[in-house]
Amino acid sequence: MDAAEFSFLPGWPLPLGPIAWVAVLLLAALLAGEALQRWVGLSRVLGYLAVGAVLGPSALGLVDAGAIGHLRVVADIAIGLLLFELGQRADFGWLRRNPVLLVKSVAEALLTFGAVFAVMSLVGLRPIAAAAAGVLAVATSPAMVMTMIKDLRAQGQVTERLTLLTALNTAYAVVGMALVMGALHLDREQPALAPMVLQPLYLIAGSALLAAALAHGTLYLFGLFGRRPAFQFAITVGIVLIAVALASALKLSVPLTLLALGVISRVFDRERHFVPLRFGESAMLFVVLLFALAGASLQFSGWLDALPLALGFVLARFVGKLAPVMLLAQPSHLGPRKAWLLALALTPMSALALLMLGDLTRASPQLAAEIGASLYLAIAILAFAGALAVEYALRRAGEAAEDSR
Amino acid sequence: MSTLEFAQSRVLTIGIELELQIIDRRDCDLTRGAEELIRLLERSGHPGDVKPEITDSMIEISTGIHERYDTALQELRGIRDALVVGADKLNLLVAGGGAHPFQQWAERRIYDKARFRQLSQLYGYLAKQFTIFGQHVHIGCSEGDSAMYLLHAMSRYVPHFIALAASSPFHQGIDTAFDSSRLNSVFAFPLAGRAPVVDRWETFVAYFDKMRAARIVESMKDFYWDIRPKPEFGTIEIRVFDTPLTVDKAAVLAGYAQTLARYLLIERPVTVSEDMYLPYTYNRFQACRFGFNGLMIDPLTHEHLVIGDDIVATCAQLAVHADELDAAPALQQVAAWAAARANDAHWARQRYADSQSLGDLMWQQSLLWSGRP
Repeated sequence: MDAAEFSFLPGWPLPLGPIAWVAVLLLAALLAGEALQRWVGLSRVLGYLAVGAVLGPSALGLVDAGAIGHLRVVADIAIGLLLFELGQRADFGWLRRNPVLLVKSVAEALLTFGAVFAVMSLVGLRPIAAAAAGVLAVATSPAMVMTMIKDLRAQGQVTERLTLLTALNTAYAVVGMALVMGALHLDREQPALAPMVLQPLYLIAGSALLAAALAHGTLYLFGLFGRRPAFQFAITVGIVLIAVALASALKLSVPLTLLALGVISRVFDRERHFVPLRFGESAMLFVVLLFALAGASLQFSGWLDALPLALGFVLARFVGKLAPVMLLAQPSHLGPRKAWLLALALTPMSALALLMLGDLTRASPQLAAEIGASLYLAIAILAFAGALAVEYALRRAGEAAEDSR
Repeated sequence: MSTLEFAQSRVLTIGIELELQIIDRRDCDLTRGAEELIRLLERSGHPGDVKPEITDSMIEISTGIHERYDTALQELRGIRDALVVGADKLNLLVAGGGAHPFQQWAERRIYDKARFRQLSQLYGYLAKQFTIFGQHVHIGCSEGDSAMYLLHAMSRYVPHFIALAASSPFHQGIDTAFDSSRLNSVFAFPLAGRAPVVDRWETFVAYFDKMRAARIVESMKDFYWDIRPKPEFGTIEIRVFDTPLTVDKAAVLAGYAQTLARYLLIERPVTVSEDMYLPYTYNRFQACRFGFNGLMIDPLTHEHLVIGDDIVATCAQLAVHADELDAAPALQQVAAWAAARANDAHWARQRYADSQSLGDLMWQQSLLWSGRP
């Protein structure tokens, strides 16, 4: 009997391509999320994260670093869509009508940075490492916040403020990280002054310009073709994909570009061409994969040693966000109870922080070695705890839809 | 055992209540915000009175007691300005209009207050569908008997009020073909409609006591009549107006009702009888559906009249009374609207024809309400 006669049969082990692993990750995450929600009553997002963490390189390793690298583009698209929607939802005109909100936002960012910077310096980290940790701490997970608000169909003052502060925090963190990246040029054997200035400038101005150009193009198209929601939806997804692709190719900041695209396309939409976006069910696949990948990107190596510093980070960050939100509650016309819930809802960190930490690691492996372990652990804590915190806050504020689950 | 004492109030004084929409700036849908908005206004010491309504996307403002419609307008403008400034701080918009054009009633939340929770339990989905917005005009009466007379005599003019104030052509995302779709939502309630035909306060109290003894109602608030007596205030309350798109229009409509009341109380042109109500529901439907172009049947002569024309004729007839109340400008305005067949429903349909966007319509509506250029 000739083996060639049976060549129509598959070889063993089955030569499964990366598509299979995406499918496994997606299905496992979906099922775990559904099960967690139905039988434990917790948010689905926790299930997605947990499945990612279990299948990821830190635990079972079914989804390895290579697969995560392949899937990076999915994560970029998912976070791109969410950031665009965040930018559209956050109303920057509100800062003009209620300037205390701007004070609150800036104070919250500065205090968060300062508190984390102080803690990191106290344990003897170099200023550049402490600054990197401080900048990361400013970010509130846009993915988590947007997903929760949409899942709960939340509506009200806490939701509105959370949206605005999250958009601002994302902008601060991305800009801050660009400055840190610039400062890294000084952190070398031969410090380079020009790139220190030019790199952040290119990143920030470039992202903003790209976003402005795309936003005006989109609005022009909408002005031409009208307000049919299905058409706008398809065009918007297309523009978001182009923005992600161009920002990556031009080595600009994908998050900043997409956030700015959302903001600018709203601010300049004076004739209100944009109908409210409903990404809804179709975007769910991206969101599930985004959180599963975030889970898989979590690193737990040496977690016991990293734990004290991670807890210090979490605590300092929380105090930095809590204090200004509480102190400026009354002047910004929010009751103390809702201010507390708002501060709580600002806690999550997840995909964006992981992306930024990944970029930082590539730019300076040495810096990443100094702070990486404790930051990964802190992000893990804040991803899981943050999901719980946002849901709790929005429900207790009475802003979740009655039948949302 | 009855507690329905008719309080004394100065005859022909007016008070205005307006139910308003709380709007999200992003998508112009209704949104939650009544609680924060009321709290903010209370802290900043606003004029007038601001209260919650059945769902937390609604807010009710009311004036004090006024002798003249133009002082009521001054007060309304003050409340409106405070409201607009407060809404700005909370990133909300406020708007008039009898119904939100595309809100989904299922998304509404009952305002957290014992009475509203009770109503929601009793009426189920009707309670959330009751997210509609009306103007109530109180007219002071010297005593209960004349209040009952005025209430019934006024019923002839209910189609006028409906056509003039109609501002709810769109409902749940569609053009209803009605100028006022809001009143159809009121009709669903078992105690909607009109008061029983009695002309003595004593008789009315006996009726009320029977209704209460049968445990059909607990208080006057359980009646959703088009016009109902409000004995605590010593007024009758006309409730068929959609909330207009501006406070100016609200005050003018109150001026028209006040002038009619003076005419009816002084000239006593009719006697109260069941026959007055023969064409009532027909007229009411015509006014809701066709606005100024609706046909109304005169309850006495059974003559068929175009509502808009009848308003113009009535304004001419009321000139003497309008002068006495300094309401001549209001009546001129009313006659002009009726002659031009231009109510707020008409305006809304035009805006929608231009933009093809109900969201955009809501945006325009809140701009108009804010009184800012």
